[in-house]
Formats: sequence, C-alpha cells, structure tokens
Amino acid sequence: MIGKDEPYDAIVVGSGITGGWAAKELCERGLRTLVIERGRHVEHGKDYVTEFLQPWQLAHRGRGEQELYQRDYPIQSHNYAFGETTRHFFVNDREHPYITPDDKPFRWIRGYQLGGRSLIWGRACWRWSDLDFTANARDGHGVDWPIRYADLAPWYDHVERFVGVSGERLGLPHLPDGDFLPAWQMNCAESVVKRGIQRAFPGRHMTLTRVANLTQAHLGRGPCQARNQCARGCSFGGYFSSLSATLPAAQKTGRLTVITDAIVHSVIYDERRDRATGVRVIDAKGAASEYFGRIVFLCASTLATAQILLNSQSPRFATGLANSSGEVGHNLMDHISKAGARGVVPGLEDKYVYGRRPTGTYIPRFRNLGVRGEAKVGFLRGYGIQAGAGREGWARGADEPGLGVELKQRLREPGPWQISLQGYGECLPRHENFVDLDPARTDPSGMPLLRVHCAWSENERAIREDVKTQGAQMLEAAGCREVVTYDDDGPPGFSVHEMGTARMGKDPNTSVLNAYNQAHDVPNLFVTDGACMASSSCVNPSLTYMAITVRAVDHAVSELKRSNL
Amino acid sequence: MPGVPGVIDRREALRRTALILAGVLAGCEARRTPAAAWRPRVLDPDQAELLATIAEHILPETDTPGARAVGVHRFIDAMVAESYGAEERHQFLTGLGGLDERARRARGRAFLACTAGEQIALLGELDRAADPFFRSLKELTLVGYYTSEPGATRELHHAPVPGRYDGCVPLAQIGRTWAV
Repeated sequence: MIGKDEPYDAIVVGSGITGGWAAKELCERGLRTLVIERGRHVEHGKDYVTEFLQPWQLAHRGRGEQELYQRDYPIQSHNYAFGETTRHFFVNDREHPYITPDDKPFRWIRGYQLGGRSLIWGRACWRWSDLDFTANARDGHGVDWPIRYADLAPWYDHVERFVGVSGERLGLPHLPDGDFLPAWQMNCAESVVKRGIQRAFPGRHMTLTRVANLTQAHLGRGPCQARNQCARGCSFGGYFSSLSATLPAAQKTGRLTVITDAIVHSVIYDERRDRATGVRVIDAKGAASEYFGRIVFLCASTLATAQILLNSQSPRFATGLANSSGEVGHNLMDHISKAGARGVVPGLEDKYVYGRRPTGTYIPRFRNLGVRGEAKVGFLRGYGIQAGAGREGWARGADEPGLGVELKQRLREPGPWQISLQGYGECLPRHENFVDLDPARTDPSGMPLLRVHCAWSENERAIREDVKTQGAQMLEAAGCREVVTYDDDGPPGFSVHEMGTARMGKDPNTSVLNAYNQAHDVPNLFVTDGACMASSSCVNPSLTYMAITVRAVDHAVSELKRSNL
Repeated sequence: MPGVPGVIDRREALRRTALILAGVLAGCEARRTPAAAWRPRVLDPDQAELLATIAEHILPETDTPGARAVGVHRFIDAMVAESYGAEERHQFLTGLGGLDERARRARGRAFLACTAGEQIALLGELDRAADPFFRSLKELTLVGYYTSEPGATRELHHAPVPGRYDGCVPLAQIGRTWAV
C-alpha cells in the first residue's frame, strides 16, 4: 500500500513538537515525507473529548480516581497537567515500563499519540542566548556548542512567526527579544510585586511569560479563549501544537504521509553505502515492517531517540548507531524546579481577574550573567523564576475552621492574593547521567527496556538553595506577608525538559551530532529533538528545539539537492 | 493519510462547542436519576442519610441550594467507591461510624437522633479541633458542592469560555468567587 511511495524523500520519527516542525519544513521544501508516530491517531478538535466538559460533568469532578492513578499512572500523575480531563494524553506507566535504580528515580512524562507532548506542553517560548551557547566552553562542563546565537537567530524568527508567541520585549542580551504578539496582562498583585522587586533589586525584571497562546488570531488559529485548560486539547487552535499548526501545514503540501500505532524499533543502516536507509517498525499487532527514505530525522524525544539509536546495532556500530563517540545516551539533563517561595500580597481586596490566563509571569536569570559588579555565588550558571499570583478560591475553606451559612457566605468572595515564585535552574551536562538498554528485558513490542541513571549534582542543589533565599527576599522586599520558602524536591524528569542524550559538538570523538544536527558518523541521519542539546540553559527548551529543527531541515534539503547525502 | 487535522475557524469551533455541550447535557440528563431511585455504591441508606445531613450542615441551603439538594453525598459515595483504595474506604466508613459513637457518648443517642442544634454543635467541635476525618469530609463536601452545577453557576461565578483575560477588574464587576 505504501510501498509505491518508497523510498520517501524523508522519514521523520515522532510527531511531537520537533517532528511536526520537521514534517512541515521538509514537505514545504518539496520532500515527500513520512511521519511515524508510535501512539494513536488524534484528530484536532474531534478527539479533544473532554474539552468542553464542565466540572459537574466529570465523573469524579476533576479529582480523578486515585487508586487507578497509583496503579497505572504512578509517574504521569505527578505532572501538573495530568488529571481526569487529560489522562488520555498521557501514557499508562504500567503498560510502558522503563527501569531506574532504586536510589535514582527519574520521572519520564510521556504522551504517545499523534502530536505527542505538543498537546500537553507548558507552551513557554524563550530564546536561548550566547550566555547559554558559550556556557560549556566557559566553565568546562560538557563540550562546546558548535553553534552560537547568531546561527539560530533567523530560525528563531522563522518559528516564532509561525507559532505566534505573545510576550514583552525586554532588551536583555541573555533573553533575546523576538517579534511578539501582544503580551498577556499582569494581574494587580503581580504588578505590585513587580514594582517592589524592581525597586529593591534593580535589574530584576518581572515580565509575562512568552507563550505560544495566541492573544490575537494568527494564521487562521485562535485567539486563545483564556480557559487555561490547554492540555485537554483546544479546537480553537488557541495554542501551538503539531495538531493545530505544523501537521496541517505539512498536509497542505500534499507530500505528507502519517502512520500511527507504529513503533520505530531501529534505524536501518547500510554499511556499504554508509547511510541510514530507513527504519524498522513494529505495529500495534506486533508485526514488523520496514520503511525506506533518503534521509532520516529522529524527533522521537530525548530518551526515545537514544533508545532507538542504542537499539540500532550493526557490525560497524555494535553499541548503537552513530555512537562511535560513546556519547549516545549520555549527558542526560533536566531542569530543577519545585523550589521557591510563597507569600500573601496584602490589600487589593476590591480587585479580581476576569478569565483564566494560560500562563504566568517570569523573572529572567539574574545570576552569573558575567556583568561587572554582580554578586559572587557558590554555583555555576543560573536560574529563572516562574511566578504567578491569584486570589484564593473556595478550596481555602477546607483548611479553615467554619461551618454553615457563615462558611458559605465567606467562600462566596475570593480570599487573599497569593503569589508563588518557582525557580527553573540549569543542570550541568554530566557523562554519568545516562540511559542504556536492559540486556534482557523487553517491552511488549520487543524493544529492550530503557534504563535511566540520572541524579542531581551539588551544583543543582546549590541553585535550589539560592532560588529559595532570593525568592523569599524578593517577596519580602515587595511587601508580601507570611513569606515562606518551599522545596518539594523532585527527581530529574519532573520538569519534562529532559535533553542531551545525543549531543551536538565540534569533535566527532566527544559528540554525536555536528553543527547541523547531522550524525558525525552517518551523514543522512539527523537528530533534532531534545537529545541534541549540549547544555540545558535555564529557560524552557522547546522553542530552541524548534529553531534547531528548521535549521537542520534547511541544511539537509540543500545537502540533498547537492547530492551530498 | 486520512485526516491529519485541519485548522478550524472560530465560528466552527463555537458551533462545535454548542453541539458538544448540547450532547453532553442531554447525556447528563439521561443519567440523572431522581433522588428516590438513587442507590449508593458503598454507603448503606443510614450512612447516606448521615452524610447528606452532615454535608447540609457544612454548606446549608440559603438563597441557593444546599449540599443535600445538589447531591454532595452521592458524589462522596462515588469517590469512596471508585477512587479510594480498600484501606481508605475502610477508614472512611470507620470515620463515619465514629461520628455516631461520638454523638452517643455526648448525647446518648445516634447522630441522626440528635437535634439539629446538637448536631451542629458536635460538628463545630470537630471542626475547631481540626479533626482529620471531619476536615477530609468537609473538603469532599466543598468539592462536591462547588463543582456541582448549582454550586458553580449560582452560588459562585462560572465562565466556561471566558474569551479574554483581564488581570485587574473591580471585584464588584465579577461579584463572586470564580468556580474554576
């Protein structure tokens, strides 16, 4: 059925945020492209089955089924977006196992469906800067990035224009501006705290999170309806996902083929030609098949891409395809989060909000910027702070004494304004944080189980401490009351910013990919998901994955045209 | 490939909203059983009555319906039956039995045999002492009530599709706590 189209010009493994982009760009540049998704088909709109359900229409009123979660979703249910209305976009942990040592938990949050985690992502869109791209070179951790901001800047422009990113221009060199849609508004309490922080700590700016939620209609999508229920799916196309944006664009070219329920087992490598020639796939019934293409893009996600490479063994690549450096699977990173400070913003009792903003505010990194006179701190690199204020709602009543008419009347009005600051901190690339394949155990499809070995280091712990201290100081300086710090120490994986398992670098001996995400060892094999990252920055990585993907496609297509692949 | 999703416009999305809501509400209506026909999953009829009585004391009828009328006890029964594990379920039922024993010790009769004033006084003591079982019951009552349709839309303010965000408006303009 599909054989007549083969070989495809390009095969893309994965349909999440980078797979969607690769498909769009490859198709628009004239390549007949096959996208292979391991999960089920999801149709934009029609399959967002919980999108319009109101609280009283949910069997458990949004509280879900705890016993079921403990049995089938012990990892996924820790994610903030997981719940009664979104469970179907997360994997069943019991059916999709992986292995971690008892003393090194790792939370691998996954969505196996067309669109992948682009349906359930946090949507923050920040550019990285040369503070990030030179970080490894400056302090000697990891290997130097083979690219700098200037290499990516035009591609950031390119993806932002299509995505539609709302935000404020700040003029900060370490958080470069783009061409933004109007920002979301701060609420009254955030404005007060922002001014307080600025007065006490010149140079610390609170801004609106730059986010892929459309504040105005954009390219036929949106605008966002301010429901803040994005992970249910949004038939308004109010936020960017592969289903709302990139896959429809790819489909419009007439060159896209998508298959779902197809697990890529390995990349087929032809030693004689020294090229990847396609992929081996296992379908839902366990049947194996092969698809052939002239170039292969791995966009399966950081850990899944590593798993595929490690499982693609041949006489030349006995330890995994494109692994002559031995770095495939290594240098796994995530961001630290779940530490910070909270407080009450006094006053403003006569103020409230209308609508549910689908994002928060942000204090960009202010540590180790390399500027004259800045404070010396006991850690490398830095962190940004995600913040948000709101008035307490009816749920506060559960923790306060009171019964009857008095309680009911009291909860009719909102409670005090609360603000929370949460740090997102950079994680150092370290060889000893890695994934490999279990030599004996396989999953039901026959894929060797992935083993994840990952733990925080002293540097990440020191960042957590500084987040708490600085967070509390800023809130106090801004006049907040009842300021407390918190530290819900989460294992790696928790921030869902895992990256680094097939890093880019200049030297084929110490890195897997070159400056264009081409495998050093296999020129027609590209990896553009989070696996490619050589360091982690402290800002959310998705926008950078997107920019890197479109840049890699541009390179791949021109190399293909020059018959270099 | 059949149907990689197309982009739908706002009007189409709104049309779908209306259709889906209509469908869902129709479905809901069909499932809505009259109070007399309701059969609890884990509670016996006395326990269900006890729970409904306590919930009504926590959030009574005022100018809007109270917890009993919106069926908070049904929600709690469903949670205990479907969400709780065996041990938690046992603890819950034990806790409920404990309330009755407490009433017998204090007043010499079962909770439901006490006057409303006595019942409220008893619950007030537990509430002020932050009794863990009572506070968890109170939380379930709040969830069941404020996520019910009357709780969300009449007692509080609910906007399923706000359409925009305004970060600083007079409270008087909204009037009440947002349900969601």
